[in-house]
Amino acid sequence: MKDDTTAPNRVVETRPIKGISADQLLTEKGPELGLDPLTSCLKGRLPITVSDVNRPGLCLAGFRENFLYERIQILGETEVLFLNTLTEESRRQAISRLLDYDLPAIIVTKSLTVPPYLLAVAEEKGTPVFRTPLSTTPFIHQLTSYLTDVFAPRAMVHGSLVDVYGVGLLITGKSGIGKSECALDLVERGHRLVADDMVIITRGQKGLLLGTSNERLKYHMEIRGIGIIDVRSMFGIRAIRPRKQIDVEIVLKEWGTDVEYDRLGLDEEMRAILGVKVPVVTIPIVPGKNITVVAEVVALNHLLKTHGVHSAAQLNDSLIQGMKNDREWLGGARDASD
Amino acid sequence: MTIVNSVGLHARPASRIAQTASQYQSEITLQHGSYEANGKSIMGLLGLAAGQGAEVVIRTSGPDEAAALAALEELFESGFGET
Repeated sequence: MKDDTTAPNRVVETRPIKGISADQLLTEKGPELGLDPLTSCLKGRLPITVSDVNRPGLCLAGFRENFLYERIQILGETEVLFLNTLTEESRRQAISRLLDYDLPAIIVTKSLTVPPYLLAVAEEKGTPVFRTPLSTTPFIHQLTSYLTDVFAPRAMVHGSLVDVYGVGLLITGKSGIGKSECALDLVERGHRLVADDMVIITRGQKGLLLGTSNERLKYHMEIRGIGIIDVRSMFGIRAIRPRKQIDVEIVLKEWGTDVEYDRLGLDEEMRAILGVKVPVVTIPIVPGKNITVVAEVVALNHLLKTHGVHSAAQLNDSLIQGMKNDREWLGGARDASD
Repeated sequence: MTIVNSVGLHARPASRIAQTASQYQSEITLQHGSYEANGKSIMGLLGLAAGQGAEVVIRTSGPDEAAALAALEELFESGFGET
């Protein structure tokens, strides 16, 4: 494995988001999750800081040890049914047991009717209560998957991200070396631009790196000598893609005698982004060399490797086998002549 | 020169020869039997298919031919860092 060949601050890890408020959840995900506020307060005393949720059945029933108050509390059919079986007085006690805590939010599923006392206490305590028509389990899945994304580790990388034959190529290198021109060339050849200049990377579930663009700069590029261009308007919808998994990093480097380039491809250089290892290919920039075609071949070679075809290793194996056979044959001939 | 490492002139030694040869300006050719290869070309060197015990002739010509030859001889004698 070789040393890092680019500046160490190539990847800037941004501080992960510590918490979001319930009204942020409402504005960003409200329409999709069918969230309907039942209280006037939309910001809880506690921000949402974890992606997991909790069903507070045991707390309502009186067992409060280990109660996970920092999570969003989900009231489903069971919880509401349980409250409705109680007498008015014990219902109030049960509700107070839950709302004693500062909770980030309470969400009622299946458009269930909640006891008015719960809403009254929530209003008084400043705990937001939302209602959704969705069933509990699908709702929890959608909510936790959204929150997991929100709290995922994030980084920014100076470079371009292009989808080439379905392979996410992250193109990095010094300023002015031609990352954008390479990306533009790829787009022109029918590939799809995800982000130029600045790629925002999140580490998703299963350790996949997902790259996307800054929302405002989306699909715009700066090309030296021309200025800012809008890739979607210029090349159409086929030329863009909102996000893409990062599969390979291509580092563009000025040709220098001090740098050793891989001439075999037997060893794969890896570099970590947000703790996830990504194969790195360093390509020397020489006037007259077509980087775009090389980038396409990097993508195709990656595809071949994922399908179990490792060209360099296979050629070497067959060569070694061939030399061995020759020697055995020669040895045999020598033995025969003895 | 004789190839001493057990596997012969496979991809890794070829890469080391090409790297060494590329440091010199001289023309460098390697010959195994009737096959001749440019010492700076990995694919050419692989084409030599020189296994253990094979005799390879190294020719250098140019301003730094002596130094190039010495460096390559040393590389061959070391078995390309392999056994």
